[in-house]
Amino acid sequence: MDLQERFAHGERDAFEELFRQFQGEVFRWIMRMVRDRGAAEDLTVETFWRAFRAHARFDPKRNFGGWARRIATNVALDHLRKRKREGPLPDDPFAGAEPADPAAKGNPAVLRETRERIAMAFRGLAPKLQAVAALALIEDVPHREIAEALGISEGAVRVRLFRATRILRHKLKELVESHGPS
Amino acid sequence: MDRVEEQKLRESLKKQMPPADAELWRDLWPAMLRRMERQERAGVPWFDWALLALVGAGLLLAPQVIPMLLYHL
Repeated sequence: MDLQERFAHGERDAFEELFRQFQGEVFRWIMRMVRDRGAAEDLTVETFWRAFRAHARFDPKRNFGGWARRIATNVALDHLRKRKREGPLPDDPFAGAEPADPAAKGNPAVLRETRERIAMAFRGLAPKLQAVAALALIEDVPHREIAEALGISEGAVRVRLFRATRILRHKLKELVESHGPS
Repeated sequence: MDRVEEQKLRESLKKQMPPADAELWRDLWPAMLRRMERQERAGVPWFDWALLALVGAGLLLAPQVIPMLLYHL
């Protein structure tokens, strides 16, 4: 019996092996969506806990990584919904970030304001749009991968991305115009 | 909105937001074990007991449904 079959039968050793094999991959995926290391670690554990409870429903012929990613996406979306309901945290993962582009370093007050505006615009998006926007616009994840993780079609990903982009563009109009490609 | 505008937005977002530093720095298995142990200690959730009590009370109040339930089981 192979590892995935043993897991499907509820063997804890097999679960531990799969956990160790896939924890990094699941963590990276969640991190791309929630952009908060502490939360991503907790959500990784929550993902595997849900996977362990659902072991009997796992088809050993399927890829464990893909299945875990689907669960991780749902866990991350639940987290984004909760975060949206509860409002911004003092250590907001978007607001606290340093600019990726060294050339963007300038007036700290202006940069802080810019980041806060982006953070607010992102927080204002519905969690489903927020996840797609973070994955597609910032992390450059291919639409096909996003579609698989969310359990929707590539067309639906494009629609969500279009809606998120339209909202973000509306909220960040001046910013986009001043930072556009030269 | 056209692709140029989407690209503009993408670039201005990336200028201000760093890529997620997504490497896992520690093994999460100990945390996973703690999570599993916590759940085992918690035992049967309260709502399962509540449901059991409700069914028990229902059977006491209407014992005539017991043969019917047994037939369907």
